[in-house]
Amino acid sequence: MKLIDITRRAGRSIRQAKARTLLTSLAIGVGAFTITLALAAGAGGRQYAQDIVSANTNTQELQVSQKQAIDTSKPQEYSTDPTVSYGGRFTVKQLSQHDIDRIAKLADVASVTPSYNLDVQYITRDGQKKYQASVQTFNASIQLNYLAGNGDSLDESHIIIPDSYRQALGFSSAKQAIGQTVHVVVAQGASQTNPPATKTFDFVIAGVTDKNALAISSGNSLYVSEAAAKTLYTYNQEGTRSFGNYMSAIVIAKNGVDATKVKGEIQALGYEAQTAQDLLSTVFQFINVLQGILLGFGVLAVLTSVFGIINTQYISVLERTQQIGLMKALGMRRRDVGRLFKLEAAWIGFLGGAIGAGLAIIAGTLANPWITQTLSLSKGTNLLIFQPLSVAIIIVGLMLVSVGAGILPARKAAKLDPIEALRTE
Amino acid sequence: MIDVKHVTKTYGKKQNAFKAIDDISFTVPDGASVAIIGKSGSGKSTLMHAMSGLDKPEQGEIIIDGQNILTLKQKQVDLFRAEKIGFIFQSFYVQANEAVSDNVSLPLEIAGVGYAERKRKIDEALESVELLDKKNSKAKNLSGGQKQRLAVARAIVNQPRIIFADEPTGNLDSVTGEKVEDLLFRYNKANGVTLIIVTHDPDLAAKCDIQIQIKDGKIASTTAPVAAERAA
Repeated sequence: MKLIDITRRAGRSIRQAKARTLLTSLAIGVGAFTITLALAAGAGGRQYAQDIVSANTNTQELQVSQKQAIDTSKPQEYSTDPTVSYGGRFTVKQLSQHDIDRIAKLADVASVTPSYNLDVQYITRDGQKKYQASVQTFNASIQLNYLAGNGDSLDESHIIIPDSYRQALGFSSAKQAIGQTVHVVVAQGASQTNPPATKTFDFVIAGVTDKNALAISSGNSLYVSEAAAKTLYTYNQEGTRSFGNYMSAIVIAKNGVDATKVKGEIQALGYEAQTAQDLLSTVFQFINVLQGILLGFGVLAVLTSVFGIINTQYISVLERTQQIGLMKALGMRRRDVGRLFKLEAAWIGFLGGAIGAGLAIIAGTLANPWITQTLSLSKGTNLLIFQPLSVAIIIVGLMLVSVGAGILPARKAAKLDPIEALRTE
Repeated sequence: MIDVKHVTKTYGKKQNAFKAIDDISFTVPDGASVAIIGKSGSGKSTLMHAMSGLDKPEQGEIIIDGQNILTLKQKQVDLFRAEKIGFIFQSFYVQANEAVSDNVSLPLEIAGVGYAERKRKIDEALESVELLDKKNSKAKNLSGGQKQRLAVARAIVNQPRIIFADEPTGNLDSVTGEKVEDLLFRYNKANGVTLIIVTHDPDLAAKCDIQIQIKDGKIASTTAPVAAERAA
């Protein structure tokens, strides 16, 4: 018997027991639904993480810090290296200017920028209130969403402010704010007076940014050039014990040099270095674990449905004993009878997979805007991404699982004695 | 030609052993119509099953077209049935939920006949049993007589050499039964196909060329030439 004819007959048998087939398929459908969503969430999560990381980092960029003591359960040996102590044994070693210079000497390193810890008192402008502010060093690799102006030619006198500050500082529009002067007031850390001595630095607004959901730090940060950051830092920290010591530094690898290679070189010097890719893989690992848990539930559902298929197919064999007897009497081979029932199981698997995956795609597509809104992600972000290939693999996989479940009933059908089978009323 | 030589089939074991057919021998010439007559439990059905390769007697030979079907492998027996045998049963065994044409198509599909040829043969067979107009109806919508005619169409569609009919009119009234009988005998004569009818109906048996009466697993009387005698 030709495979196409067996497949058609199997399909017809399935149609003749619609309710039973549908119910059995739905059991697999639950598994297919869960697995499809798990894969979609995984794909979406990875895509989202990748978008975030690529929006905030540059592939040539590495974050460098001191190698930290891993075992904090034992007393740590005292060292004269700069550290920040968080009480008791837990200390974080910092990078000193000496460390920065050592790294800067590496041939493959284009630049080393220490991360200045800028402790700003407030920002204000003539005739306006004073507002707390967090000022960071501008980095061209950070993608900002400009409402007006930009950071392309940022110099020592420029500042980039978020739209929320633009409003608070009384500018009627982002455009109007460009070129205006604001005052940034910094306290002198080494000051012995109370309140400490302060100094006002004037900046010209070069850009106004909108909130970018993909950017980690764009929310309320103000950006100044590296030179300006150094000036603010120096005034703020000079004379204190921590001056010249940094938690971390941003290293930019030279163009055409693989960041991973630079990472190796920096590690050889005894520092910790992380590339953008490392950061991504940490996030990926987290997403993969979540996806694995969800997948586990799906696999469990499929496993349960396997028994449903076996049961359904056994009933089907019993119900159609006469038909099987007739087919065998007419010379249908054992193998073909077995195939008929395995293909019926495959149809059930196909239906279940298609229904489950289809519902998952519909539900996911409908839920995507809602998820984006609820988690206040930027517009156009889809946390559930359905890949045609993985959906196809799910359906084919479930068909194979169903065929596996159909093996026992199919064997029973193939073994039926035609005389006995035809005698059954 | 069908040569049945010393065929014995035993059911059960040791003390419970029971010979359903016991040392049966006869010959059926090609194109003959044969009635195997007997009461229920006489062994006539077992004999039919043995001759059609459904059952394997432990002793004897059944030689069809020079081949002992009892020594064939399962695969070859299946092929033999698919290509050379047509079956008609008392309870029709038509697939009620399938279309008439799909019922007739089954033996052709089993024999691996291609789609175009299948279509032609199905129409031909349905034409000869006057069911062509019902081609696309569901089999469950047919009357008893129509169902058995459908079974006849299914039996003849692949142009078998031998048709086995097990009480073909047992479930039919005399008028529809006669119509089915006519169909079978007409096909038997027109195509030279050997027709073997298992029945306990003496009227139907009388219409056959050869009658073989089975009683308690043995031939009680026969009009068939016995192979062993012919050889001698």
